[in-house]
Amino acid sequence: MSTLRGVGTYLPVWENAGRRVVGRDEDALTLAVAAGRALMDGLRSGSVTGDDGDDVRQVVLVSRDLPLAEGGNSAALLAGLGLADTTPVVEQVGGAPAVLDAVVSAASGTLVLAADLEPAGAGAVLIGAEDADGAEGSVSLRVLGRVTGSLPITSRGRDGERWDYDDSRLLFERGTKKALSALALETPPTLVAGLSAKPAGQVSGGRAPSLPTLGGSSTVFALAAATAGDVLVATEQGSAVAATILGSPRVHRDEPSPRPLARTRSTPGPDIGISLPAYERAFAAKVRWEAGSCDACGQLAMPPRRRCTACGSEEGWSLSPLPRSGEVYTKVDIHVPVPGRETPYSLAIVQLDDTDVRTLVTVTGVPAGAVDIGDRGRLVLRLVDVRSGVPDYGHALLPDLTDQPQGESA
Amino acid sequence: MRRVAIVGAGMTPFKEHFDLGIKDLVPMAVSEMAGSVDKGLDRADIQAAWFGELTTTDGFPAGILADSCDLMDIPVTRVENACATGNDAVRNATYAVASGAFDVVLVVGADKVRESSSRSTFWEWAKLTRDVAWDYPVGLVAPANFALHAARYLHESPATREHMAMVAVKNHKHAVPNPKAQLRYEITVEQVLSAPMVVAPFGLLDCTPQSDGAAALLVVSEDVVEQYTDHPVWVRGVGLGLDRVMHQHKADMTSFPATVKAARAAYAMAGIGPQDIDLAEVHDCFSAVELISYEDLGFTDRFGAAAYVASGATTVGGARPVNASGGLKAKGHPPGATGVAQCVELFEQLRGHASNQVDGATTALAHNIGGPTAVSAVTVLSSEKG
Repeated sequence: MSTLRGVGTYLPVWENAGRRVVGRDEDALTLAVAAGRALMDGLRSGSVTGDDGDDVRQVVLVSRDLPLAEGGNSAALLAGLGLADTTPVVEQVGGAPAVLDAVVSAASGTLVLAADLEPAGAGAVLIGAEDADGAEGSVSLRVLGRVTGSLPITSRGRDGERWDYDDSRLLFERGTKKALSALALETPPTLVAGLSAKPAGQVSGGRAPSLPTLGGSSTVFALAAATAGDVLVATEQGSAVAATILGSPRVHRDEPSPRPLARTRSTPGPDIGISLPAYERAFAAKVRWEAGSCDACGQLAMPPRRRCTACGSEEGWSLSPLPRSGEVYTKVDIHVPVPGRETPYSLAIVQLDDTDVRTLVTVTGVPAGAVDIGDRGRLVLRLVDVRSGVPDYGHALLPDLTDQPQGESA
Repeated sequence: MRRVAIVGAGMTPFKEHFDLGIKDLVPMAVSEMAGSVDKGLDRADIQAAWFGELTTTDGFPAGILADSCDLMDIPVTRVENACATGNDAVRNATYAVASGAFDVVLVVGADKVRESSSRSTFWEWAKLTRDVAWDYPVGLVAPANFALHAARYLHESPATREHMAMVAVKNHKHAVPNPKAQLRYEITVEQVLSAPMVVAPFGLLDCTPQSDGAAALLVVSEDVVEQYTDHPVWVRGVGLGLDRVMHQHKADMTSFPATVKAARAAYAMAGIGPQDIDLAEVHDCFSAVELISYEDLGFTDRFGAAAYVASGATTVGGARPVNASGGLKAKGHPPGATGVAQCVELFEQLRGHASNQVDGATTALAHNIGGPTAVSAVTVLSSEKG
């Protein structure tokens, strides 16, 4: 029986036709990192018992939208989460049942992450020790049943092309209901992951709350909604897993109020190419958000540099975490069509708190033109660009805007 | 060091020369320069050449100059120093002559921006001046480099977009009589303010056009100057200054320290100060850059540029006309040629036959900033040997 130390959720700010959608600078990896950070930051700030998340011993990322099938997502995932590059990572393709299976079967210290693009959202679960059962705040899950069936209403192969049989009645009758029947639950589920609101209501007697996503992360959103005694079914096409939840998980949400997706225009253009040696040299500082700290005098440099600007030492430097908040020193809004880009977009130079480090970053989460000099915000992992097929991750400014920003229209 | 003078100057029109390659533009500028030498030029007198070119379109730049101009028996050195290339080529040639190594040298600047599609130019040119891991992928396109400065400058100083527009309006007006200028029409402040936004705070009319062109100067020592003219223009001072390359490392973005350093060096060499400058060609790739440069060059006090441009001081007829040629904004901006062409303009001004003549000027200044905003070159010219 696994225990849950906490649950984290993340929803991108953008909404289109009533569903959360990713911005141009987000993918399943940045979504998963955002959920993982919501959880770990929450555990650190909400606990006096040293529950700081530093004892994550492995990571399992479940998604059907992994950015790379080849080339690897793990390094960026660990760096974005601030975890050691010695941490084992499992990149798993799967939906709602796979996430529930991962949670119930994971060893203590496993961070299970799930991310979906359509609708967009992500979740994180940190697994606790089995002997923690009964400890304050610990929550355990007990599996009630599992069935795996084949009803590929939607399918996607190696070419990435999605096929849709488009028959919701067939899906419900011979997928959802057949799988639920096979589980032979004593009572109808009270939480249903993997289904939209209407069928979820039908199979739960109207009790299951509506969840923002349909894929793997919906299992985590269901756990986030759970109270003691709930029965959770996670289903996908012809498969389902059921578990009962003993306890009420601690939940840390990063779920901003939705904003209409900013209108942008894209201009066709050449791929701007990538220098992989330059990418590799910059990776740790960029994705971990760490500056070079002079080994001789401690002066910070972002990006790291060989010769210290303060003392002139060239004897070496070590990476040192940077503050993740700051104030806009100057900013620009790019309106001119830029080949290969979505316009408009904003760039800002941010003065990081409590350091003399400034950084040039993209602005995320608000329409172009919404941020101004003097505004504050935090630095979050985003997809800067995809160059030559390589996701180029870095940090972007997410402004702390209390009001709905009045950005410039596209 | 020996005194150094310019005795000939010429340039092609600045425009989209789709019909001419770099191997056409370079010899055209050199020939016009040769034709301007009062007492004539025997090309066999040319002992060395410096060629300012930021990018290359048809191969190896120094070889292109030598080959296209049939100057096959002299050393040619390519100078590349971002948008300060032109005035840095002048600087290198000046030192070569001042040192006594040569008596007669050629300076050419050229670039052919419109040789690739406007779409691909964006990234091709951006890659020349960006950190490829940190700044290139975030989409720091050319106008954004300067707009980061302009936004902060507008935030701290009394200047507004109207003051930026005054620069554009002035320089367009100045370009009308200049047959070499690319944009020979007047615009209004209202048109500048209502133009489509490129990179806020720069609208379309705050920005230089994309240009092709070439310019050439003949630079000689005081020992031989009388063989070429009785009206030389003396190179009184040259200076080059640098700044941190990445914008996030520039402490005060309301000023260009590179310009301050370059100007300080050029003024010191000339033994004069900004109060002695009668007219100037100032790097106005974007309107606000001219405002900030007024202050960095010492023409006005810190944050005094808004009042200074509004006073009309920098309009032809004012106390210190700036960019009587139309500037980069309206004359055009083929980067390697730009600084050399500024000196072509000032050569004509100081000899009294410019197309938009400023009367009574004896001492003038040319200024480039680029890199982006990490390098500046300043040249001080005078009709007085000093």
